[in-house]
Amino acid sequence: MKTDMSDKRWAKVYPELGTGPVPAEPYISPEYFALERERVFRRVWLNMGRVEEIPQPGDYLVRDLAVCNASIVLIRGDDGVVRGFHNVCSHRGNKVVLDERGSCRGYLTCNFHSWAYDSQGQLKWVSDEENFFDLKKSELGLTPVATDVWEGFIFVNLDPQPRESLSTYLDGVTGQLAGAGFERLALAHVYRVDERANWKIALDAQNEVYHLPFQHRASFPDVFVLKDNRYTRLLDVRFFRRHSVYSCELNPSHTVTASEELVARLDTAATRCRLPLIGDFDFYAIFPNFVILLFRGAANDFFMTYNFWPLAVDRTVWEIKIYFPPAETAGQRIGQEYAKCRLRNVLQEDAAAHETIHAGLASRAKTHVLFQDNEIQIRHFHKVLADQVGVFQEG
Amino acid sequence: MSHGSLPPSFRSLERFNAWALAKEGDRIRKRRASTMEELRELYDALMPQMEAIVAYLDQFSPAHLPEDAQRLLWLALSFVEVTSAVELYGQPEVRNGLDDPTRFRPVE
Ligand code: FES
Repeated sequence: MKTDMSDKRWAKVYPELGTGPVPAEPYISPEYFALERERVFRRVWLNMGRVEEIPQPGDYLVRDLAVCNASIVLIRGDDGVVRGFHNVCSHRGNKVVLDERGSCRGYLTCNFHSWAYDSQGQLKWVSDEENFFDLKKSELGLTPVATDVWEGFIFVNLDPQPRESLSTYLDGVTGQLAGAGFERLALAHVYRVDERANWKIALDAQNEVYHLPFQHRASFPDVFVLKDNRYTRLLDVRFFRRHSVYSCELNPSHTVTASEELVARLDTAATRCRLPLIGDFDFYAIFPNFVILLFRGAANDFFMTYNFWPLAVDRTVWEIKIYFPPAETAGQRIGQEYAKCRLRNVLQEDAAAHETIHAGLASRAKTHVLFQDNEIQIRHFHKVLADQVGVFQEG
Repeated sequence: MSHGSLPPSFRSLERFNAWALAKEGDRIRKRRASTMEELRELYDALMPQMEAIVAYLDQFSPAHLPEDAQRLLWLALSFVEVTSAVELYGQPEVRNGLDDPTRFRPVE
């Protein structure tokens, strides 16, 4: 069947992304995964969390990045600066910080022989120092990792010489979300799902709205379907070099359940939290594995983040964080709980699909997958990834 | 005030005291361990009370709720927790979720 391009909105705007099938091999190939580890995850900026997680000098956070074979400690120095270090002792390589988060009063101390580092990573104490040889403490601090903060989001880059700064890397995302004021909202809920799926299967499944009226028909029957349209359509999609944002509108006349109607009545909190949304729902895919989702609320907007952390070619931890404005009234608190529960339903359905998709592709029944016009942002992601990895590119 | 009690005006809801749970994980577990009849009973009893509950709770600053009001809020959150089961799924758990739903884990 010859394709009629006249109604294909996005392929016409972004012809360089092509329209053909995309190879399935990168989803399941251990060799490809090994390349992703080296050429993607060890070379680009990766989101670790937000500055509010370590508000005080001495507060620290440890992220074990299996995909990079690394453990990173993020610590706010006594000078207020957030820094990242390899969580590896200069003496004989022990893991210095063993807990996931905490606050050090002065020093991070290695358990093995008690070497101690200050909040800026400098080595300050060596037990039985006189028995060492030519020890230069000033040169034996924790190994720094390039660390930078954008709009409160902490990023690290494991490349010893990052090829570009964080703001260059983020490109137009910085302008699009400049001054968003994410710090006005507080981390309210965290979920972690250990999935039997490749990280890209999980990310791709979230990076489109085509599936919503089908996979989530029980949970959100018609929330995203536009009135005159049986299928979802993107309101907008924009690309910022490696990154993308898609937006869509909610159906203003979607079926309202009794509890939804009730909660809308209960939540009478004054409007004070607006985020710079393009549509009613914006999905920023920050290459490679970070997502910021903005939601338009009747009175107050909110946001979520996803981090997809590969453990192996077929295992991923999907980390989900929900941020709400601090609730000022009981009605608002209940409204937030309600929004969270409805979202959680959908995310549970998504998690299950990530695994069934992975199983299907792992069977090698299909050599390629297909993307329609409203999935162009996934096509973009795969092009960026292929460019970064430098193999498996097809014309 | 006996341990576990609700504010005096909501004593009629005390039969649901076991639902006054502080943690999301506990509310999820309770929902999963309940029959649809139990979920519907909670839903039907709380639905007409929710406006009164919110009005009651709003006398206090959300950060400084008295103990019995705190339990009332937790009970209201359990109401929220069961709404999807009652209104959408007709079963305690989401349809087409993970083989083992406990793998979708709140970090608390
Ligand atoms: S390895 Fe850390 S003090 Fe010896």
